[in-house]
Amino acid sequence: MPDKPSDLVQGTLDMLILKTLALEPMHGYGISVRIEQMSKGVFRLNAGSLFLAIQRLERDGLIDGEWKATENNRRARYYILTKKGRKRLDSETREWGRQAAAIARILEASEG
Amino acid sequence: MSWLRNIASGLRSLFRRQQVDRELDEELGAYLEMAVAERMRNGLTHKEALRAVRLERGSLELTKEVVRSGGWESVVDTLWRDLLFAARMLRKSPGFTLVAILTLALGIGGNTAVFSVMNTVLLRYLPLPNPQQLVFLRLPNGPPDGLSTTGDDDRSFSYPVFEALRKEHAVFSDLMAYAPLAVDKVAVRTGEDPEEAEGDMVSGNFFSGLGVSFTRGRGFALEDETAHASVVVLSYSYWTTRFGRSPSAIGQTIYVKGVPFTVIGVTAQGFYGIEPASSTDFWIPLQNRPELNAWNEEGPLSNLYSNPKWWCIQLIGRLVPGVTESQALAKLDPDFQSAAHIGLGTPDPKAKKTILAFSSTQGIQGMRDAYQKPIQILLAMVGLVLAIACANVSMLLVARNATRAREFSVRMALGAGRGRLLRQMLTESFLLVGGGAALGWMFAISGSQALAAWSGMEIPFVLDSRVLLFTLAISISCAIVFGLAPLRSAVSVPVGVTLKTSNATAYRDQRSSWSGKVVVASQMALCLILLIGSGLLVRSLRNYQGLPVGLRVDGLLVFGTDPFSVHSDEEKEHFYQNLLARLRETPGVESATLVSHRLGSGWGWNSVWAIDGVKPQGPFSEIGMSANHIGPDFCHTLGIPILRGRDVADADARSAPKVVLVNETFAKRFFPKGDALGHSVGKKEPESRFTIVGVIGDSKYKRVDEKAKPTLYFPFAQNTPIPNMQVELRTQGNPEALIPSVHAVLHGLDPNLPIQKPLTQRAQFEESYSQARLFARLSIFFGVIAVLLVATGLYGTLAYRVDRRTSEIGVRMALGAQRGQVLWLILRESLLVSGAAIVAGVPVAIAGTRLMRSMLFGVQPGDMISFLLALFGVILVALAASIIPARRAMRVDPMVALRYE
Repeated sequence: MPDKPSDLVQGTLDMLILKTLALEPMHGYGISVRIEQMSKGVFRLNAGSLFLAIQRLERDGLIDGEWKATENNRRARYYILTKKGRKRLDSETREWGRQAAAIARILEASEG
Repeated sequence: MSWLRNIASGLRSLFRRQQVDRELDEELGAYLEMAVAERMRNGLTHKEALRAVRLERGSLELTKEVVRSGGWESVVDTLWRDLLFAARMLRKSPGFTLVAILTLALGIGGNTAVFSVMNTVLLRYLPLPNPQQLVFLRLPNGPPDGLSTTGDDDRSFSYPVFEALRKEHAVFSDLMAYAPLAVDKVAVRTGEDPEEAEGDMVSGNFFSGLGVSFTRGRGFALEDETAHASVVVLSYSYWTTRFGRSPSAIGQTIYVKGVPFTVIGVTAQGFYGIEPASSTDFWIPLQNRPELNAWNEEGPLSNLYSNPKWWCIQLIGRLVPGVTESQALAKLDPDFQSAAHIGLGTPDPKAKKTILAFSSTQGIQGMRDAYQKPIQILLAMVGLVLAIACANVSMLLVARNATRAREFSVRMALGAGRGRLLRQMLTESFLLVGGGAALGWMFAISGSQALAAWSGMEIPFVLDSRVLLFTLAISISCAIVFGLAPLRSAVSVPVGVTLKTSNATAYRDQRSSWSGKVVVASQMALCLILLIGSGLLVRSLRNYQGLPVGLRVDGLLVFGTDPFSVHSDEEKEHFYQNLLARLRETPGVESATLVSHRLGSGWGWNSVWAIDGVKPQGPFSEIGMSANHIGPDFCHTLGIPILRGRDVADADARSAPKVVLVNETFAKRFFPKGDALGHSVGKKEPESRFTIVGVIGDSKYKRVDEKAKPTLYFPFAQNTPIPNMQVELRTQGNPEALIPSVHAVLHGLDPNLPIQKPLTQRAQFEESYSQARLFARLSIFFGVIAVLLVATGLYGTLAYRVDRRTSEIGVRMALGAQRGQVLWLILRESLLVSGAAIVAGVPVAIAGTRLMRSMLFGVQPGDMISFLLALFGVILVALAASIIPARRAMRVDPMVALRYE
């Protein structure tokens, strides 16, 4: 059994959703499953925060939604990354990398 | 543009809520279904799977809420719900709502109307593009000596000055000239109907330089000025009243003093010309015909506007951007000085220097000084009304919220935060104030029209954006005060207390009843100040009205004539003799006479004369005094007593021996011992010597509040040239009923002749104190509103207190208190409040009324009678308002009251 699911670091949910959608267009449930899989069960998304984030990203023009049929022939809303969304993902990824590296350096230093 | 997208999406959720909800439902449904399906593939039953998903992902209902409240539109949505809720609460108590909104509307409307006056008279610029660049040219020192001047001699110039200054393109991008055709109005005829209208003749660049826009047609060009073209531009309001806004007005002919002009344009709505406090009906290019001289001036043909010695042209300039006024004046001065002395010979070095100056086009030219203080005082008075109104409404709200204490307690017990309650109360008060402001704005529209009519101004008091801003500002501050004032008492009630007690009124906060009394007392103090102010203004008006005018005012009609087609004195004498003869035959007319300067009009004729047998006191050989031209039967028609000698008669014609009447002041001053009769007044020329044939009683000439001056009355045809005359008619009935027959008589003499400014003589005299009358009427109006508001406020407070003290009163009566004592208990409270109000209000009033000194006539700011009347009024109001609650308290049945608890 993996550890209990942990809360996301503040402000990273948007980035994770963008990243997921950068791989392929997906519906809400797909996004949450994919994030869970990729994090090996560390992050488990609550429906409320997921859809709130989706609404926010859509309004900011970072993702676009459209109704499509699923493999099981059910209607679901699929989201795709817009150009603007891709740019945002790039910049946020870079920024995250910088910060993570910095944090890691601090933590290592304190251990040594 | 992500914010656009954000707004669009938010609006979609607001206005297509059902569809948005359905989509969200569907999306979440799909989510749930997929999640459940996956759990079921792992071997759970449908029910177990549902439960697992809910545990893991949270409730979908909650999710919906979270998503819905995520966008900005949810704030709007909540506000809207608050608004609906507030409206529902207000609808539940229609009486309260109506009273509160009406009270606020009176306060806000009154303030807006008075502010619109201030805006027009003091603040507003001419409604033209870049009005800050426009300046009027003035002569603070007056024009040079030795010229013909006009009534506006501190801002009238000669044509050479205009010609010189209009070339100064480094200073003025345009310099415009204008001159009125008459002091008041001139005869204008379109089709058959003659009437009088106000017209200016102007330079060719007048409209283009000012930047006036046109509804129809065009303005003038420079060629129109040089050719003195026969074209005319109408104002929008004249076009409306005379032509019913017909497009076919363009190209029509109108006759100005019988001269035909073709209509070529109509100015835009809202442009009333640039004459102060009056609206110009039409404009023509500068004319060089004697019948269209500026100011209706008659005289030799050479004396037209281009004559350097006839200073009749007024100037308004548009400064080049970036040029300051002082730079401009410095640049203009040399050319101005040389142009000013063209035709006057070399200037006398000892004479006063003529100075050129500018005045701003803000407000109404020349009225700032006279009106600034009165308007500020009126605004202060109406501000007091608003303060009283606000206090009333906030007391109403406090009382209402006290009875709603249970509602608030329940809501707080159910988890509503104070913030939530605060928001709701603010919403309610914004709704009330919004209603009050909207209604008040409508009051203000009719109020400012009434004010314009009462003040005798021809231009409307415009409710423009500045006035709207003012209204919004006072309304919003009202709303915040009301919203917050009652809150403290409402939410400071401990939840437990209100819920536990069966009687919602049991919780009595001593503090809140104390603060209620303070509010009522300050209201009454404000009311007292207002009443004292009103009393002073009303007494001033009564002093004006009580002034003896020296003649029988009632039953007199006065109107003007301008027989512009007759020129020689012979023709003119004949015209007026003919007119009098016809009028005397008119049914209803008892007698008729003429006078050149209408009594009570503010205009007069000052003249210098030598009196035989009287030594001049000063260095001049002649003595200055008032004079007037009069017609036969003058004293008889006006009802002026003849003390010695006789009235002027028909026989005192142009060819008859020259005679003159003098007034009592003249006789007493110059012939204190002897008899004035038989002496003569005259000039150097032997032919202008007039024998005194009558001494008549003093009567008011220019204004009702003037001091008696020595006055001469010449038979109109004997002191030539004969001026235009006003006609006075004496009748038994209503003077104004004579107007149609007068019309007919004039039409019979000349179809071009309008009847000029017909008025009863009483109304004419009242014009000398129209300002005082306006102030008195307004202050009475404000006073009545204040009294009503204070009375209802006090009544409400007392009634509420009696209601709450019912059980206390019951106990007192059960223990043997007499009904009289109970009555005194209540009355004492209201008298104490009035006492406090008087103690606080009188000193403020004493200080405040000093500022009113310039508005008073015949009373002092500290006038005892006004103060006593106001005190008496306030105490009366207090007693009247407490009678009903006190009687109710007296009638409390101890048994019923005790069972109440």
